Amino acid sequence: MSAKIPRNFRLLEELEKGEKGLGAEACSYGLEDGEDLLMTNWNGTILGPPHSVHENRIYSLKIHCGGQYPDVPPEVTFVSKINLPCVGPTGKVDPSKLPCLVQWRREFTMETILIELRRYMALPAHKKLPQPAEGSNY
Amino acid sequence: MSLPKRIIKETERLMAEPVPGISAVPHDDNLRYFNVTIDGPSQSPYEGGTFKLELFLPEDYPMTPPKVRFLTKIYHPNIDRLGRICLDVLKANWSPALQIRTILLSIQALLGAPNPDDPLANDVAQRWKEDQNAAIDTAKEWTAKYATA
Repeated sequence: MSAKIPRNFRLLEELEKGEKGLGAEACSYGLEDGEDLLMTNWNGTILGPPHSVHENRIYSLKIHCGGQYPDVPPEVTFVSKINLPCVGPTGKVDPSKLPCLVQWRREFTMETILIELRRYMALPAHKKLPQPAEGSNY
Repeated sequence: MSLPKRIIKETERLMAEPVPGISAVPHDDNLRYFNVTIDGPSQSPYEGGTFKLELFLPEDYPMTPPKVRFLTKIYHPNIDRLGRICLDVLKANWSPALQIRTILLSIQALLGAPNPDDPLANDVAQRWKEDQNAAIDTAKEWTAKYATA
């Protein structure tokens, strides 16, 4: 079995990848408070996928990485209003409805979730759902 | 999960012959992950403080260096707000001949000899160069505030 990277060093790796923009272009993420030694709260953004109602919209999210991350997935909440089956009335992403959260694995990252959410937005069943006014927040 | 002999030996020696002012204890559930404390060197702004750090030995250690980070807030030009350390032996000058013990000694030495010409925390380094006495006072304040029990 390989070395198990502890939470904090995993989050530092994710931070560096996010800061250097090495990840996918359509998603980004960073620490909410650059002095938080525990690196608990993060901001994420998703650029709406093309050929969908989300095209050209930018969605803001909050990601909360608890003490058990990455053994358990983070809590993900949309700040920007969105109409999606996996997002509850307060913006919280329902962990029983997004496949990567249902089948969470330790190797998954915040980027995994953001990319999957973006794909989820572009699914044929979701891409034409009526959306709240652009720029409105929960 | 079998731990390489090298890591077992280093851990045993850290326990049997600890370095003065430094402790490193592996987590029960992850023997590559250590809780570390370093006492601030005497005659430095960190004197009297005990600083917590965390250290992780990656899969390919000792071919790659340990990952080390301060968990205690510290005002130092080579340590940033998230506790990341700018130290040559943790990066380009790492050699498999170095050990956990030597790395922690190097970090302790860095506390005794801040190097504002190779900064990680730019604002701290700038203040260190412009007004060293004021910077040292802040480092002492932070030591008293964050690094004493």
